Amino acid sequence: MNLTTKRTLGVVAAVAISFGSVVATSAQAAPKSVTLAFESPLTGSEAGLGQDELLGTQTALYEYNLTNPTVKVNLLTADDQADSSQSPGVALGLAQNKAVIGVVGSCCSGATKAAFPAFKAGRLTVISPSATNATLTDPKSSVNGFPFFHRVAATDAFQGPALARYANKGITSPKDYLIDDASTYGAGLKALSTPSLKKAGVSIVGSDTVIAPATDYSATASKVVASHANVVIYFGYYSDAGKLKKALDLAGYKGAYASGDGTDDLGYITSAGKESAQGTLITSQSVPFELAAPASVLADFTKATKLASPASHAYVTQAYNATNVFLQCIKEGHTTRSSIQSCVATETFTDVTGAKFNFTRYGDIAQGAPVGAYIVKDNDIIPVGNA
Amino acid sequence: MNFAVVGSQFFPLLINGLALGFIYVLVSVGYTMVYGVLRLINFANSEIFMLGTFATSIVSTTVFKFNIDSHPSHGMKLLLVLLCCLLASMVTSAVVAVLVELIAYRRLRTKGANRLGSLISAIGTSIVLSEGVRILTHSIPVASPRVLSKFYVFKIHGVGLRIDQMLTIVFGFILFFAVDRFVTKTRLGKAIRAVSMSEENSRLMGINLNRVISLTFLIGGLVTGAAAFMYMTVYEQTVFNVGFNIGIAAFTAAVLGGIGNLRGAFYGGLALGLAEEFFSVLLGSQWKEITVFVVLVLVLLLRPNGLFGEAVQQTRV
Amino acid sequence: MINLRDAGAELWEGWNRPKRVAFAILAILAAMLLPYAGRYSLTNFLNTPISSYQAVLVYPVGMYILMALGLNIVVGKSGLLDLGYVAFFAIGAYTAAVLGTHTHLNIWEIMPFGMGAAMIAGVILGLPALRLRGDYLAIVTLGFGEIVRIFIINTPSIGGPNGIAGIPQPPTFLGQAFDIEHPDHFFWLVVVMICVVIWMVRRLSIRRPGRAWEAIRQDEDVAVLMGVPTLRYKIWSFSIGAAVGGAAGVIFASQQMFVAPQSFNYNVSVLILSCVVFGGMGNIWGVVLGASILSYLPERIRFISNARELVFGLALVLMMNVRPEGLLPRKKREHLSEEERAALKATRAAMKASKKSESKEAKN
Repeated sequence: MNLTTKRTLGVVAAVAISFGSVVATSAQAAPKSVTLAFESPLTGSEAGLGQDELLGTQTALYEYNLTNPTVKVNLLTADDQADSSQSPGVALGLAQNKAVIGVVGSCCSGATKAAFPAFKAGRLTVISPSATNATLTDPKSSVNGFPFFHRVAATDAFQGPALARYANKGITSPKDYLIDDASTYGAGLKALSTPSLKKAGVSIVGSDTVIAPATDYSATASKVVASHANVVIYFGYYSDAGKLKKALDLAGYKGAYASGDGTDDLGYITSAGKESAQGTLITSQSVPFELAAPASVLADFTKATKLASPASHAYVTQAYNATNVFLQCIKEGHTTRSSIQSCVATETFTDVTGAKFNFTRYGDIAQGAPVGAYIVKDNDIIPVGNA
Repeated sequence: MNFAVVGSQFFPLLINGLALGFIYVLVSVGYTMVYGVLRLINFANSEIFMLGTFATSIVSTTVFKFNIDSHPSHGMKLLLVLLCCLLASMVTSAVVAVLVELIAYRRLRTKGANRLGSLISAIGTSIVLSEGVRILTHSIPVASPRVLSKFYVFKIHGVGLRIDQMLTIVFGFILFFAVDRFVTKTRLGKAIRAVSMSEENSRLMGINLNRVISLTFLIGGLVTGAAAFMYMTVYEQTVFNVGFNIGIAAFTAAVLGGIGNLRGAFYGGLALGLAEEFFSVLLGSQWKEITVFVVLVLVLLLRPNGLFGEAVQQTRV
Repeated sequence: MINLRDAGAELWEGWNRPKRVAFAILAILAAMLLPYAGRYSLTNFLNTPISSYQAVLVYPVGMYILMALGLNIVVGKSGLLDLGYVAFFAIGAYTAAVLGTHTHLNIWEIMPFGMGAAMIAGVILGLPALRLRGDYLAIVTLGFGEIVRIFIINTPSIGGPNGIAGIPQPPTFLGQAFDIEHPDHFFWLVVVMICVVIWMVRRLSIRRPGRAWEAIRQDEDVAVLMGVPTLRYKIWSFSIGAAVGGAAGVIFASQQMFVAPQSFNYNVSVLILSCVVFGGMGNIWGVVLGASILSYLPERIRFISNARELVFGLALVLMMNVRPEGLLPRKKREHLSEEERAALKATRAAMKASKKSESKEAKN
């Protein structure tokens, strides 16, 4: 046998093993190990969010395994590309996989909503780190996720009014310009902020929608300057928030700039440039992981993910909290889908900062997560109390 | 319709549109040159552009140690940094372009395959490149620290020209002019044009086809790399799928001007850059893409070969 | 290398009618049994690791085969490069979503509306676009695909970026429930639709439209010269392809019960085009094979999550290099001798000259 043949055989064997291993996963009675699924986009254009959240889940699992638990927890990563046409198939696969007892995911409201029928069919409990669209837990909606869907991020129904208040705080005769990114999150948050703005007597001098990711924000910046607005609120994620801020500065805009939790990420400061980012107002229901987590957890983060810092990685906190909800239930001996379901629905959990929380009947955090107000100063996003 | 804004912001919009337009011009040169010789949309061109932006960013942050706290540089150092970034970007893009031709196109072409076969192979290459970069960068957008301080070269009544925009416009114009001269006047350029007129005849005349095609990709890559550098100077941010929007826009520009025609790419790119800016203001940014495509369809209805297209060519599948 | 296509064709030609019918029925039955292949140790290598195997058979596999067959009419049969095919899929899906949530029509009743809407869109796009050639057509269709998607995002009354949820599933048919737990029933439905489309394409191919498409694909100028009303047949090919896409969209919407604009982006168009070219343009069986592989492969390798798309891209490049004409290319009937080529050129030149003199006369 020559070398090439040997190599080829080796590759064939490796492929065969990896394919075979897929088939071999099956459930056993009295489990010594259970599987948690992590469903989020891991490839494709939305992969950033999913890959970031995976870090939080990995950290939580790393810490869990350090305690030498009696029940081992395996992680099954399921890529749905944040695509609502792929997520139902993935979700149904998870629902049919008897080993899976809970799902962390999906990142995004659209993919999550599309997966509800499959999760309901499999009676599988889901905790999303970041799907904040209000309809997902709306008791009046016929397509909500009751009773299997939960989320550790507070809905934008809390954040919208708070952002509206915070952006216009201390400004005499505010004239607001609203810009969203045409995502489910951005457009939704804009819709939830607008009524509060109107109620507060703020005049909305203009509105624009720029489908993200966009290249060029200079036209929008020109419109803002022409409208003589003194407050700009951006509803979208940090990368495009930074590009917009940069364009506004170059166009000569001098007023306030505010954004929601999509911008609550140190990546925003690099995106906008340090100079441009200064003084940006940000609201968020949760603190970025690098600020929220105690030093020991941050050290675990580095060990678990081989990354120096969670800065620029969004929603790590929420993914960490969501995973820990499941892990606490597993620690207490809940290892079937139905007992996990009742555990998640009824018990009280601890988040990364040490605060206690539990879920409402429809899956939201009962404590309603206070909306924090932040401001960008130097290379940091620093808290300034509640918005 | 927001005509008042167009009135008060006419000059900033014009200049922004021109700067964006020149970036489109250079990227569409990449498309249109390859199209000229191969009658093929080079789908990997957007990834060639993307790699150029990353090269610029890597050189400024690793070689010259720019970071979030550093200040823009001045004088000779600025010149050195800009030149190095430009060079890195152009070389990276050119090397990738030539490799793409070797890997994705050459074998298919010599086998006399269907044009669509090459198209799919190019799409495959483009997926490999963008996903490769995505994995390496952990899907995170990469923002480049400011290298060139964005001061106004002149400013009258609040209307001015920024240095980065001026650079883009002037340099874009010079580069385009150089490529145009190269293709029309030099021996190698004539070989490219000969191949684009008739592959068979030019081979009969003793032109080394493989070399000319490699050369075309090389020049297309160099120009696309320059565009990537200018993009980074103006927008200072990139991400693994940055090429997608730019690629579609530049391709549209090439078709608008008449694909396969260098000067068409010039006017098409400028027209598209200006159209995007002004339509964003007139109708709202979310309708920008739709308006651009509607304009494209209208232009093609009136002039089926684009604004500056050559005579009807055998452009069949 | 064995030429599968020719071997298969020879075998088929050698059979008499009963043999052919028996083979077709057996093949369809075998396809219908596919959803159960995952359960038996002999065939369970087909199982997809993370997503549900039976659901994968419906979407993407079944849907992609259906759409690739539809696109094959446009690209493979008549040689028109369409980079925005997803638009018709989206129009079908959104018709089902809007009618399904706002009226009491069931999915069977909505189906003709979905196909009709897609066909009308095909004609509206086709009338201006099909006067263009080759790559100009490509960019206009690409633009159309983007226009449809962005229009949906920008229109709040049809859900905007949020999409539409709660789309009804088809009513029970012959005692078979169509719901989330029975993807196999949806798969049977899709198999039936695929068979109907294959039958339709095969009938059309050997009749007048098929010959007209073939003529247009080989040389449009000659086709015009021979009296083929090219624009009319191109629009027919476009709208029939669109109708197939629309039908796939309707089934997609009712199986998923949810539609959102991000499902209908440009990548889907590119992927469907890849299916057609990868399998072998113009050859139905090649297209079916290509679509099966390209839609199934990403699901099969879902376990390598991070590098999944990378592997997919590599597979595309490798395969096209190994088999540039696709897996099962169509028969080549286009070998021209040198004399024939010269004659063709002369005809073209003469035609151009006559056109020019015509236009001159018109001016005078």
